[in-house]
Amino acid sequence: MGNQFVLIISASIFCIGTVGFLIRRNPLIMLMSVELMLNSVNFLLIGYSSILQTLDGQIFALIILTVAAAEVVVGLAIILTIFRTRHDLNVDHINVLKG
Amino acid sequence: MFEITYEVVVFILGITAVLAAFGVILCASPIYCALYLIGNMVCFALLFLLFHAEFIAAAQIIIYAGAVMILFLFIIALLGGAKEIAEPSVQRSSAFAFVILLFGELLLAAGVEPTRPITGDLAPDVINAIGSAKAVGIELFSRHLIAFELASILLLIATVGIICLAKYSYLPARKPSK
Repeated sequence: MGNQFVLIISASIFCIGTVGFLIRRNPLIMLMSVELMLNSVNFLLIGYSSILQTLDGQIFALIILTVAAAEVVVGLAIILTIFRTRHDLNVDHINVLKG
Repeated sequence: MFEITYEVVVFILGITAVLAAFGVILCASPIYCALYLIGNMVCFALLFLLFHAEFIAAAQIIIYAGAVMILFLFIIALLGGAKEIAEPSVQRSSAFAFVILLFGELLLAAGVEPTRPITGDLAPDVINAIGSAKAVGIELFSRHLIAFELASILLLIATVGIICLAKYSYLPARKPSK
């Protein structure tokens, strides 16, 4: 399969993740959309590392995997803390930093 | 006669990944979104296998579809998967316009011919001969050692941050404002 296919699939999933992040109001689903975007970039890196016959893309993907794991854990902890104080899960209502 | 070749499998998996991604953003209930996201990640892991990245495929299944998504499901179970009512607004339509523009730009960029073709020296048979995990390990601990160490520091910082966030129970200082 040519590299055009990899580019188009990756671009589609990145755009789906972007629109999900922009239109959804639940912070959990917004985090999942960010995961979608990171995953699509991973897919692009690994597809191109296979096409160009080098391993640098796979190393990049591994680092992105680490960053995504750290990001999602911190994000979920913040969501949990906000829910504990406010009992509300709509990001439009979370507009002050102070509890 | 329809024949199952490498290209057909890659095509079907790619389309399935796109459909699962649509499921993530279109489902009202967070639990279904999480399940669709697991499906998307499994599709990507299979695609990584087809691209001769066996180690990353295993890491994808273990870290993403295993650890991260189980964490998501626990948090959804803890917070309650309340459905979300979508209301049309200016933000929504401007978001769609922005994303359609972004997609068009990405497609334009994808249509550009390669300006300077680069190729490495690791053909798939070389990687198969020494094993994907070993090849990745050699590359990671020789040429990308600093990135590896920085990633470990990042994980340490995340761990400390989680402990700081989870240690104290925050009581509401005043009534939550609507």
